[in-house]
Amino acid sequence: MSGAKNEWVQLLANYGHIGFTFVACIVIGMGGGILLDTKVFNGSTTPWFTFIGLAFGIAASFKTLFDILWRVNKDVKKEDD
Amino acid sequence: MEHPILFISLILEGLGLPVPHGFVGHTFLEQLCAPYMTYTWLVMAFLIIVSKLTLGNLEMIPGKGQNFWEIVVGGMDNFFVDNMGREMTDQFFPMIATFGLYIAVANLIGLIPGFMSPTSSINTTLALTIIVWVTHHFIGFRAHGIKYYKHFMGPMWWLVPLMLPIELISNFARLLSLSIRLFGNIMAKETLLGILFMLAGFAFAPLPIMVLGVLVSLVQAMVFVLLTVVYFAQAAEHAH
Repeated sequence: MSGAKNEWVQLLANYGHIGFTFVACIVIGMGGGILLDTKVFNGSTTPWFTFIGLAFGIAASFKTLFDILWRVNKDVKKEDD
Repeated sequence: MEHPILFISLILEGLGLPVPHGFVGHTFLEQLCAPYMTYTWLVMAFLIIVSKLTLGNLEMIPGKGQNFWEIVVGGMDNFFVDNMGREMTDQFFPMIATFGLYIAVANLIGLIPGFMSPTSSINTTLALTIIVWVTHHFIGFRAHGIKYYKHFMGPMWWLVPLMLPIELISNFARLLSLSIRLFGNIMAKETLLGILFMLAGFAFAPLPIMVLGVLVSLVQAMVFVLLTVVYFAQAAEHAH
């Protein structure tokens, strides 16, 4: 593969999965919260763990987003040097 | 929607084997005869036979077939070395390269009428993803021993209650996103092609989608391989 095409595919691969990972984090966080609320505590804590899980899920999704950005930036810097 | 014509399923039905009409069967034999299983075996046989035919005897001056494989394998080797170093590439090249080739062929095979992509079933992609996920934790534990837990603890000790759930969630999200992305893209391609064939018949209406299908197939195989490499490299490097 030529250099420019290779770089293009790598960029597509790196940024193409941001959206899906973002959603997956929120789904897992909130799903875990709902599971704790309904199955573990039998609804006695109902809205709270759902919201806490949602908050953690959103935080985790931003963390993965920044991880991806930092990793790509590091690669670009390494190539510039 | 019209049922897609899958020739392996037709042959198996002709032989009297039970082919499930839903996504998975109920009995063991039905599960073995499910289309995504039979087409997985077809892709495996294709890869084995084609590489055997083209690489039967390696020569110093490569012929056409050997040239092709040298470009493919050499390109993947360079790519892995760039991303995770020589040592890990030597250890995990067979696994990741097999995944890459298998996914690429499995995605592309769905563009031919009469075939289906095994990767358009969540069972296939989830199986691939679980192997990758377990292996990257195995690499982490092998490289750091029990200190691997520090990867999930964040940079400072007083951030642990905050960072531990976040790191765990983002780690489990890898399992979900890696499998569902591949499955979703390929299933969307197959469904769209099916609907277009049904609406527009055998005119040239599905052709642009087929061109996009080729692109999506290759890019998704590439994404899967790239993310596998990145996860392996991250598990092996030091925590923060």
